[in-house]
Amino acid sequence: MRPLTNAGGPGCSVPEHAMHRRLFLQGALASGAVSMMSWSGLFGLEALAQQAKREQKHCILLWLCGAPSQFETWDPKPKSLYGGPFRSIPTKLPGVHFSELMPGCAEIADQLAVVRSMKTKPNEHFQAIDLLNRGAEPRPPFVRPTLGSVLGQQLGHLESAIPNFILLDPCPEGNEFKSFKAGNWAGWLGAQYAPVRAGGTFAIPDVQRVADMTTEDHEARAGLRRFLGKKYENERRSAAAASQNAVFERVKGLMSCADLFDLNKLPSKDRERYGPGAFAQHTLLARNLVENGAPFVMVANGMTWDCHVFQHEIYQMLVPELDRVIVNLLKDLEERGLLDRTLVVMMGEFGRTPWLNTSRGRDHYPDAWSLALAGHGIRRGVVVGATDEDGVEVIEKPFNEKNLFATIYRALGMDPYAEYEIPGLPTFHRVEEKAEPIHEVLRG
Amino acid sequence: MKTDEKPVKDGTSEVRPKIELLAEHMLPTAGLAVAVLPEAKHVIVACFDGGIYQVDTGSGARTEVGRHDNYASGVAYLPQSNEVISAGYDGALIWHDLEKRTRIRRVEAHRFWSWRMAVSADERWVASVTGAYRAGGYRYEPAAETEPSVKVFEVRTGALVHSFSHVPPVLSVAFSPDGRHVAAGNLMGEVRVWDLETVKMVASWTTAGFTSWGVIKSHHYVGGIFSMTFSLDGESLYLAGMGPMGDPMAGNGKQHWERYAWRENPARKLGEIADAQRGNGLMEAIVFHPRGGHFVMAGRLAQGKWNTGAFETAGGGLVQGLDTKIRVTGAGFSANGERLCLVGAVGQERTKEGKPKDFGRVKIYRCSLG
Repeated sequence: MRPLTNAGGPGCSVPEHAMHRRLFLQGALASGAVSMMSWSGLFGLEALAQQAKREQKHCILLWLCGAPSQFETWDPKPKSLYGGPFRSIPTKLPGVHFSELMPGCAEIADQLAVVRSMKTKPNEHFQAIDLLNRGAEPRPPFVRPTLGSVLGQQLGHLESAIPNFILLDPCPEGNEFKSFKAGNWAGWLGAQYAPVRAGGTFAIPDVQRVADMTTEDHEARAGLRRFLGKKYENERRSAAAASQNAVFERVKGLMSCADLFDLNKLPSKDRERYGPGAFAQHTLLARNLVENGAPFVMVANGMTWDCHVFQHEIYQMLVPELDRVIVNLLKDLEERGLLDRTLVVMMGEFGRTPWLNTSRGRDHYPDAWSLALAGHGIRRGVVVGATDEDGVEVIEKPFNEKNLFATIYRALGMDPYAEYEIPGLPTFHRVEEKAEPIHEVLRG
Repeated sequence: MKTDEKPVKDGTSEVRPKIELLAEHMLPTAGLAVAVLPEAKHVIVACFDGGIYQVDTGSGARTEVGRHDNYASGVAYLPQSNEVISAGYDGALIWHDLEKRTRIRRVEAHRFWSWRMAVSADERWVASVTGAYRAGGYRYEPAAETEPSVKVFEVRTGALVHSFSHVPPVLSVAFSPDGRHVAAGNLMGEVRVWDLETVKMVASWTTAGFTSWGVIKSHHYVGGIFSMTFSLDGESLYLAGMGPMGDPMAGNGKQHWERYAWRENPARKLGEIADAQRGNGLMEAIVFHPRGGHFVMAGRLAQGKWNTGAFETAGGGLVQGLDTKIRVTGAGFSANGERLCLVGAVGQERTKEGKPKDFGRVKIYRCSLG
């Protein structure tokens, strides 16, 4: 088992990571400055950029916060009294049906891996969001890093201008998700692995250089701030100062790649293909960011899937959007040669009740729910697990969050059980209890 | 009178009950619409399971009249022919012979659901409204329709006579008492009224009173005009639904109706429910008493005291409110106005053995409204 540190360097367990760092430094030195607008701009030498690009792994998490209903997506029960008004349709996989709201995914079912037997414990959003983002229950006072922070550390480069962990969420609100967003995403890995959030508008605010300041003047000011900040951090051994310095470095990087966050710079045909809604547009942005080197992008849209009321009225809109987004995203990644290097995870924090409440909505249900995976390390065209005829219980191959995280890490070539080796920390592993990955969905 | 439904105060003093519960019957699945037969000895109910059932209001015994391939969402009784027309989420309108229990015809009205249907009082026309909510903009403004959202058919033949355009989803529809005009309301609070003789739209306006955009977590539009009815003189159009919410998934917008002088250009709001007299919850049915002195609005109780309210037509004040303990989705009076019939549902539950419990409800009331 390979030990992990929070330095993001020598202890990282992904071999390519160290090489990327060298490539990056060589490229940066050769070019004389780190000034870039895209992946090629990250490296002064085109050959180095292409090599790093070929080896970079990525992950896109379509975070369906609020928790989507398995019945109206991956595990329809049209003959059940609880099934709802949407029917099921056959997919490319013999005997497998999806909701009629997902005709596109039905057509590309042979590219997907669907898990229909997730069984987790928390029944409330905050606890479940926390669990499905960190992969383990809380153990205060220690804070386990989120999936995005872990993958940002493992797949990314601290020196990269493109943030290693990007959260695209247009809404600053979101009830429990808002609370979660305000929390500590990076945990014991440190603030440098926290997400850069683009929220409220398409573009990241406050990352443009002031118009009347020259590049040289800006660099000089940044250098002075960096020197003084590092001095303070070293002399006072200040974690807060370290975090602040990390944030400044990120902002500096963002200034150089802000255009990558600007949807208006993307082809209008792409924007039309994905659909006009905020979630669709941000997924397109995620594709663009991954194409330009971002290791981990999480796409959310507040907590919009939490339909305790108007469930059928809203799902007729939400699910077709998701369907269209998945189809276009996987198609684009495939066409760009990125699908074999990009893991796509599509999930929320739990499922919805089989039975309808008085408002004809579905409530929280962690006992039996579904998610889907595709891309790097994932077998194509597989459906794992099963629920009973009403979707009340998992009757075949139950999996929990630990199984899921072990699957994600294994799919990306990481040791799921690597031990964190951080001073002052008890023994923690990426995945605790040696939980098995979901072997059925893993390729090879 | 059953004691679970007590009259509530009208804001200052307790009022004499004018609506009293006579009977409550269970259905296997939720009722979405109701038609009351003469003398109210029977009602016809459209249900989740697709069934169109005739229910004996005294005994609760039910027989199947016909069936849709998905939720049955609308139903009307035609006294002149003793026929029933029903609508469903299968997009179909179905004509049933009530005596023979046979299907007369089926018309594929829409490619998507029929949200609501209405039959003109002269039994000449039947209208049905449809439309899926699809993302049309960054903030999830509804996309334009892909099929006509409002269709009018001839009752006698089932022939399509008019197709009207609206912005989907169109959730409610009503005929003017003389059968000349048809009105339809949508998710975004837009009302359109067409003259069936000139085949022109004669009124269109939008009210912000029924639609939410979820600031907190449901970042899309929710709500809309769920039910509408003309006044008996045909001069006013009443709309029902739920007031805006910051968090639509709380389902706790104000119980709401608005009244419009629709013939004026632009349409003018004549009144709305008094704030002090309402609680919270979606209102899905609004119907006039046959004598026109009162109307009833009913739906779900999220917070407050009543989910079925009787209002005076003249002043719009609440005469009586009842907590019926169900989510009401359909309401109708008997021809003589002495009975009020409500249909709806409670939440789905399971028995200890894991079997689904009956969750549909029919409730019959004695009325002394004018």
